[in-house]
Amino acid sequence: MPSTLFDIEMRLLVDAIFLKYHYDFRGYSEPSLKRRLTTAMSRFGCATLSQLQDKVLHDPSVFPPLLDYLTVQVSELFRDPSYFRALREKVIPLLRTYPSLKIWVAGCSTGEEVYSLAILLHEENLLSRTLIYATDINAHALEKAEAGVYDIDRIAGFTVNHRNAGGRSSLADFYSAAYGHAVFDKALKSHIVFSDHSLATDSVFAEVQLVSCRNVLIYFNRELQDRALGLFREALCRKGFLGLGSKESMRFSAHADDFDPVAETDRIYQRRDGR
Amino acid sequence: MTERPAPFLGGRTLAPLPPRALSGFVLAFVAVLLIGFFTYRLLDARYAAAERITKTLESIEQLQAVLSTLKDAETGQRGYLLTGNEQYLTPYTAARSEFPGLMKSLRGSLTDAGQLRRLDIIEQLAVEKIAELGQTIDLQRAGDNNRALEVVRSDRGRAAMDRIRAGLGEMEKEERTQLANRQTEWQSAATFSSIVTSGGGVVLLLLISAAAMLTSRDHQQRETQIWMRTAQLGFGEQLQGDQRLDELGDKVLAYLARTVGAQVGSIYIAEGPDRFRRFAGYALAPESKIDVLQPGDGLVGQAAKEKRTLKVVEVPDGYLPVSSTIGRGTPRQIVVTPALTDGTVHAVIELGFFRQVHPADIELLDRLAEGLAVAVRSSKDRSRLEDLLAETQRQAEELQTQQEELRVNNEELEEQGQALKASQVQLENQQAELEQTNSQLEEQMQLLEHQKDRLAKSQTVLTEQAAELTRSNQYKSEFLANMSHELRTPLNSSLILAKLLADNKDGNLTPEQVRFAETISSAGNDLLVLINDILDLSKIEAGKFEVHAEPVPVARSVEELARSLRPLARQKGLSFKASVAPETAAQIETDATRLGQILKNLLSNAIKFTDKGEVTLRAEPAANGGVAFVVRDSGIGISSEQHEVIFEAFRQADGSTHRKYGGTGLGLSISRDLARLLGGDITVESAPGKGSTFTLTLPLAYSEPVEEEASASVMFTSTPLPAAENVEFIRPPARPSKPSHTSPPAATPDDDRERLSADSRLILVIEDDPRFAEILRDLAHERNFQCIVAPTANEGLAAALKYRPSAILLDMNLPDHSGLGVLDQLKRTPQTRHIPVHVASVADYSQEALERGAIGYALKPVQREQLVEVMQRLEAKFSQGLKRVLIVEDDARQRESMTLLLANDGVDITGVASATEALAQLRASTYDCMVMDLNLPDLSGYELLEQMADQEGVSFPPVIVYTGRSLTGDEEQRLRRYSRSIIIKDARSPERLLDEVTLFLHQVESTLPVESQRLLKVARARDLALEGRRILVVEDDVRNIFALSSVLEPKGAQIEVARNGREALDALDRATTPTGIGVDLVLMDIMMPEMDGLTAMREIRKRAEWKRLPIIALTAKAMKDDHDKCLAAGANDYIAKPLDVERLLSLIRVWMPK
Repeated sequence: MPSTLFDIEMRLLVDAIFLKYHYDFRGYSEPSLKRRLTTAMSRFGCATLSQLQDKVLHDPSVFPPLLDYLTVQVSELFRDPSYFRALREKVIPLLRTYPSLKIWVAGCSTGEEVYSLAILLHEENLLSRTLIYATDINAHALEKAEAGVYDIDRIAGFTVNHRNAGGRSSLADFYSAAYGHAVFDKALKSHIVFSDHSLATDSVFAEVQLVSCRNVLIYFNRELQDRALGLFREALCRKGFLGLGSKESMRFSAHADDFDPVAETDRIYQRRDGR
Repeated sequence: MTERPAPFLGGRTLAPLPPRALSGFVLAFVAVLLIGFFTYRLLDARYAAAERITKTLESIEQLQAVLSTLKDAETGQRGYLLTGNEQYLTPYTAARSEFPGLMKSLRGSLTDAGQLRRLDIIEQLAVEKIAELGQTIDLQRAGDNNRALEVVRSDRGRAAMDRIRAGLGEMEKEERTQLANRQTEWQSAATFSSIVTSGGGVVLLLLISAAAMLTSRDHQQRETQIWMRTAQLGFGEQLQGDQRLDELGDKVLAYLARTVGAQVGSIYIAEGPDRFRRFAGYALAPESKIDVLQPGDGLVGQAAKEKRTLKVVEVPDGYLPVSSTIGRGTPRQIVVTPALTDGTVHAVIELGFFRQVHPADIELLDRLAEGLAVAVRSSKDRSRLEDLLAETQRQAEELQTQQEELRVNNEELEEQGQALKASQVQLENQQAELEQTNSQLEEQMQLLEHQKDRLAKSQTVLTEQAAELTRSNQYKSEFLANMSHELRTPLNSSLILAKLLADNKDGNLTPEQVRFAETISSAGNDLLVLINDILDLSKIEAGKFEVHAEPVPVARSVEELARSLRPLARQKGLSFKASVAPETAAQIETDATRLGQILKNLLSNAIKFTDKGEVTLRAEPAANGGVAFVVRDSGIGISSEQHEVIFEAFRQADGSTHRKYGGTGLGLSISRDLARLLGGDITVESAPGKGSTFTLTLPLAYSEPVEEEASASVMFTSTPLPAAENVEFIRPPARPSKPSHTSPPAATPDDDRERLSADSRLILVIEDDPRFAEILRDLAHERNFQCIVAPTANEGLAAALKYRPSAILLDMNLPDHSGLGVLDQLKRTPQTRHIPVHVASVADYSQEALERGAIGYALKPVQREQLVEVMQRLEAKFSQGLKRVLIVEDDARQRESMTLLLANDGVDITGVASATEALAQLRASTYDCMVMDLNLPDLSGYELLEQMADQEGVSFPPVIVYTGRSLTGDEEQRLRRYSRSIIIKDARSPERLLDEVTLFLHQVESTLPVESQRLLKVARARDLALEGRRILVVEDDVRNIFALSSVLEPKGAQIEVARNGREALDALDRATTPTGIGVDLVLMDIMMPEMDGLTAMREIRKRAEWKRLPIIALTAKAMKDDHDKCLAAGANDYIAKPLDVERLLSLIRVWMPK
């Protein structure tokens, strides 16, 4: 039960958001949500969460920026290069044996992960038979992801990551830079479907061979984590792969028994057989 | 930026006039002074000269006056001398008195010493003259006229006079000379003075005009300064405020043009060291497109390079043209000014003029340019600062989010740590509990040992008793059988004899005797019925009652019964009706004789106990899917307490009934037992006086209870009897567990759940028919299995999860759910997936069951041998029997390597090189799994699969396609119809192949619903609403396409697949052409590549001809507004994934155009 006034207000706000905008944050990790909301409060100049709630309910234009606060968007290309190296070494050889591939990037945020995977697959000559589903709840972030435009000063870091992830080509082959921005190749985008999808409320939409959902589950509480993992399990073909964030563990999940570790340190798991 | 007037700057004072003007003024001042001084001096000189002239003139006058006085005096004397008249003396006296004065004044007016000397001489002479005159006068007066005359005649006077006259004349002459001199002197003084005056005037004029010129120039300069300052001030105002560069440009340029009167202009701003970009234009012609310049490029570039203002006077045509809607022109002059500050060019201003450009313009431009440069620089600085600020803010934000992520990560780790700790604690607790349980278990074990001993003892006793009981029961049955046999034999002969007598063939009996014989015959018949009943009962009780199941047409049996009983009813004056409800199954599989026996008994009873009214027999569909035969009468009825009693052997509803209506009271008991033997039951509804309704329900198909120990059965010979021919009497089994009485249907037979041993081989029987369950259980025991019986689907599932049996025997018709559902669940649950399931049922769902992974299907009634076989198959399955894999690969080496790869204990691998061989193999035996290449010498892989599906008698194991070809989407989809697993050969493919094969072998994987199986289903499940309808499935997920077509195709619908919105539109286009076949309904997925479902639906709705096309959206989104979005985009309805087949079908039925 909520103990402090803040907790009560938070619950009301989250309910209000759900009722009005159908975004379900009720299963989000409370401490994180608390911090995000505190930041948002000062940003919107509200003294209490109730004020913020009033604003959000009566001024729909407030919601998108608030959503940006509620969904944390930190990412970079080939973030945690060892993850991508592990994908390249342990997962790609198996994905190669499928006649066509589907990959689900759940919680793709502004798309860095999606482009990383697309580049990786291109380098492995698999992109032509691959379809990547990139989903997120934040439509604004999805727009950015779909545009594929990033600040040029981030590219240097991306390039280093790409090299560390075992990149076989030059990252520069995949983007063109101008006016302080770098835009990623359209050819990559033609294999990506960007779509709004909520792990909290929506269900599985396709059978996929790989689910990459990194640094998303940490914002969920245990129940929602289990729901999301259940969705992944259902979406994955048998022996399909699941990649999680570096601090996300399968160990305590209700679905722990459904997955085998493939690269434990890089949080890559494989669905056990059978359905 | 603000420039204050100079005098206030730092309290510094300035000269009241500019130095040049001041020196002019001083010069003029000095000149005026000099001129004044000179003029004054000259005037003075002239005055002096004039005075001297006057004096000279006066001297001359006085000299003349002296002469005249002397003359007057001489005249008077002469007059007096002549006349003696005193009166003539007046002039003399006057001259005498005047003379000294005259002399004195003369002396005063004379300055020249010579003159004075001359005057002295003259004075002396005059005095002498006067004195001579006085002497004469005195002489006269003294009357001495002559002497007086003498004196006069002496000429002394006259000489004096002449001398005076000469002296005076000389003096006058002198004075006149002096006068002339002085006059000349004056004249020259006057001339000089006028020269000086005019000269001074000229000088002054010059000075004044010089001063005026200077002042005017100063004024002009000041005016220019003011103009410039105002311009600068205004410019400053323009620059004021924090403005972004781009806003600044146009404002500044407009201001500049306005201020200096330029007609056209542009500003280029420096972007980096060698790049200039135009960022503002003023009245520029639209074609002035040069946006980016480098230093040295054109005038602007040149000015930037040289860092100085360039002015172009003769502007060629077309250069920097001025444009308006009315016309255009080229300015006459162009000024290009670089905006410099600190030696850096920040911008270049280019202005075009129709007029002459003044230096002031250029100067102003230079100054303003500097201001602009500063502004641009500061604006750039500001922009950079803002950028930096934004950057730092962004970084701060990013840091914050990263921090957030870190924190969340930490929390996650903490939580995981706690969970670990908790699980550790839990483990410790469990360990403690385990220890405790262990000790408890030990105690209990000891206790159990004791109990076991006791049990064993009592069991022995019980076994003995049971054996005794069985024996006595057996004796009873045998006795009854024997007795009836013994009874029947004499009765048979007495009946035949009585019949012969009654026939009175010889005609030698009296009618009374004939009646007696008839009575004997009739009584004997009654006795025979009674004996038969007893025999039946004993047979049924002994459980040995053979049933001959055969298809029985319901309508015909009802009609036959009616025909045989109608006379009896007519006899009693009752109406009798027989009918069959329309939905009743046309035929059932059961024992026709027994059915007749039961119904006859029920009907006879009905007729017997009904005195008036009617008796009806009606066949109708039973609730459980079988057939119900309802016998209804309007007789005396039975009270509810009696409902069960009437079915008990040897009892009737009422003791008096017997007496009134006769009968053995065994009929109903036997009927019910028979009904149960046939797999059905008899129920009654009745109340006293309200008539009775007896309902016999029978299943559609009879499932045969298995005879036990058939070899041990003993056959009794007996005379053929009307009601029970060919009855086999089988000795009841010696097993104590065999119940001698049939239990009520709901009761669960005893099973082994209470006494499971740890390593038991356990079979779970899910069967609602307790009899069959018992048979199965006993069979299981016989084969050394333990057995658990579950009568319902739910209990069965629960038991499967709880006890994890080695094998499951499953009935299809369960009271709560269908057996197929149970099978499905079992195969979906990971914990039970591996358990082999065998189905036994009266209804033939073998295809469905096998599709869902059953290992076999036995159709009831099942022979005992069949059941034994089933057990064996189950046993073989779960005890890891041989798995068979068929490899179809034309390359011998590949085949060999695959064989090696898959070789394993318990796997039997057959390799073939061609499709023909493969088909032969599949026809000859069954395989658990088939691995095939697509490239085969005789048929293509597709053709092989199609033939496998089409040909009868060819088994269709799970297929793994193992190919080196990369497949197109279409090819993949074609293959997916037959094979769920397609592996592309690659470095890691052997691993996956092994994986997939193992998967198929080690679990009872549902075989794929292949075409042949679909065709089988077609016959059963055709849905009229969908028959022949065309449904366009727009969906990119193979799994879903597959699921949808396997639901819809068996219903007779024709499926077309589009994998995205674009393909859907194309498909609809094709379908709408005159040759196209049309599409009746669209199932539209939302999330698809290329064109998503929402867009596709909107596109579809744009076309008039598709406005009414029903579209059902399939969405994975759960929220209401997502659904609203679907509807808004044009969907008629939506259904959420995962798809509920029933819901989907009803939606399709709703929306399918009629």
